[in-house]
Amino acid sequence: MSNVTETVPGPAGPQGTTGGGNAVVGYLGGIRDVVVLEMKQRLRSRGWYIMLGIWFFVIAVVTWLTWLAWNASMEARRSTMPPSALSQQDGAGSMIFEVVLAFVLLFALLVAPALSANAINGDRAGGTLAILQITLLTPGQILWGKFCAGWLAALAFLATSSPFLVFGMFQGGLTPGHVVVSLLMLAVELAVVCGIGVGISALAGRPLFSIVVTYLVVAALVVGSLISFALGAQLAQGTVLANSPASRSVLYAPVQPNQQGQPIEPAQPGYTCEGPLVEHPAVRTERVAWMLALNPYVVVADAIPYPDRSGTGFYTVGMIEGISQGARSALAGPDHTYLCANGVPQPQYLQQTTPLWPLGLGLQLLLTGLLMWLGWRSLRTPASRLASGTRIA
Amino acid sequence: MSIAESSSVPGSGTLGVSAEGVSRRFGTVHAVEHIDFNAPAGKVTALIGPNGAGKTTLLLMLASLLRPDSGTIRVNGLDPLHDSAAARLRIGWMPDTLGVWESLTAREILVQMARFYRLPKAGIAQRVAELLELVRLDTLADQPARVLSRGQQQRLSLARALIHDPSVLLLDEPASGLDPGSRVELRNLLRSLAAEGKAVVVSSHVLSELDEIADGAVFVSQGRTVKQQTLEEAALQGRRYAITALDNEALTAKLSELGLEYRVEAGRRTAVTLLLTHDDGAAALLGELVRSGIGVVSFAPAAGALEETYMNLDTERR
Repeated sequence: MSNVTETVPGPAGPQGTTGGGNAVVGYLGGIRDVVVLEMKQRLRSRGWYIMLGIWFFVIAVVTWLTWLAWNASMEARRSTMPPSALSQQDGAGSMIFEVVLAFVLLFALLVAPALSANAINGDRAGGTLAILQITLLTPGQILWGKFCAGWLAALAFLATSSPFLVFGMFQGGLTPGHVVVSLLMLAVELAVVCGIGVGISALAGRPLFSIVVTYLVVAALVVGSLISFALGAQLAQGTVLANSPASRSVLYAPVQPNQQGQPIEPAQPGYTCEGPLVEHPAVRTERVAWMLALNPYVVVADAIPYPDRSGTGFYTVGMIEGISQGARSALAGPDHTYLCANGVPQPQYLQQTTPLWPLGLGLQLLLTGLLMWLGWRSLRTPASRLASGTRIA
Repeated sequence: MSIAESSSVPGSGTLGVSAEGVSRRFGTVHAVEHIDFNAPAGKVTALIGPNGAGKTTLLLMLASLLRPDSGTIRVNGLDPLHDSAAARLRIGWMPDTLGVWESLTAREILVQMARFYRLPKAGIAQRVAELLELVRLDTLADQPARVLSRGQQQRLSLARALIHDPSVLLLDEPASGLDPGSRVELRNLLRSLAAEGKAVVVSSHVLSELDEIADGAVFVSQGRTVKQQTLEEAALQGRRYAITALDNEALTAKLSELGLEYRVEAGRRTAVTLLLTHDDGAAALLGELVRSGIGVVSFAPAAGALEETYMNLDTERR
């Protein structure tokens, strides 16, 4: 039995904790080891590949149907409108891109909790968490390792759907920048949901419970943010100082394209503001815009760039652009959207350049960070408090 | 080797693992109440107690996973609360739940553990191969852990606890699920680990096994230390012997004549049991019985020394 001790690791402290740089490398090395362990397990489960296959298939079908629908609608438009009225800039690409993007985000929000929300308590139930905790791994390394593994798994789904976004790009009207920015934002949203899932899974006793709670949090971000914004707006009744618009010629510029198909009249307000400034009742949406900002769709849509359309009178607004404009006008509030607010004619097209998505993403990261921090606390050993109804091993 | 390792630790006079006045409760349940426990280096110490006595809770605290509400724990003189990394390098823990990563192979599991303990990369493959041979899993090394039987997983779990060559081994029910051959191997392995200077703590219910393995025993019940004794002490307290004879009438008559107190046991073969204080007395009694012409068929301890203590404990069993 003497062979037990032939290779002794030695009493020296954990390697990699000596120098400052070595400590960082050692810390990251521990995270990498946890990720390797997690990925090995995930990559060997058949369910993972089946889910990827279903995902690919469904998005392919959605893309194909969108493409068919766009072609059909173009046929209909060609038969009723002169060719010059057809906007050149909105190819099939933009519609396919938007539908696929919305769909990928929806699916990502559905898949990410399943990939992350049993990371910690699933191991706890299986008795393998304590095996990690007894080693030299720190709670932070375990938590970050689990998070990175869940995120990587979710990113694989995103990678599977990227061909369809690229396909949308090649259909016209989009640049690679659109695809890159949207993939980046989708990846960040996946990280947010994975972080929420891992944090909750460290706090909750049972995997089923934490998965359900994570889905509820995601639902709160997607639907709850809209509801709370709508309800909050009712409570944010205020006033805005404005005087009366006096019609100069017509309130709205007529839509009259010239020979080149470009509108002749710029979309500037066709009115002046006269009279004393009076307080008008208005909804101060800027006070509750942060609730809207929590919505992942708003964050993604607002981050994708689109051209300034204030010079053009006739254009079709895509879904992404519409969401972004709506969100930004909520952020701008009545001071910038009310007719003649502060005695200044407000342009019909909102030139709001302050984006809403950094605020939304910041709030989401705050929530994720809080849950991860609480999760980290519950992973510390020697443990002083255990989640009720759980054993440490 | 391990002794050399441990002697570099400050306070090498306190080798092994010890707990002093350790308490821990979960909500209103007092799992462990003021337990004193000492497992010296180079010895196998048995932790014995009924179900729910707090054995696993105590082991979790010794393993630095659970914080005691009060009391102190020392692992080779180190306090796991303050110096957990150094303590963990010295602790090998085998949980009562198996907890294996089912889709990984036995070899991969051990390699992962070696990495988690930050062993030098160059030596990992060889170390893992040695351990797999030690627990006789070398032929199954590249099978996913889920196809291993319970006993094989148990042995894998033991190898996992040994990967970083700890000087303190905490084994929670290591023998459960093992076939008799593996039990004998486990016994030999634990004896040899103790001979290398490791402190080995074994919690178990199989008391007859522990008689052969353990040097000392700590009895706990309802979260308290009830008794701490060495095997020699246990042997000295006297033990019950079972005697069967061809003619039971003659045997009981002779025992009555000798003025000994005995009990007729109901069993498959009617046996007579009596309490004898030491081995000399037993030898003398056997000689006396044989000389008086009683056909003695068997004459043996009715129970192990530790079982004797366990059964004699006054505390009520849950």
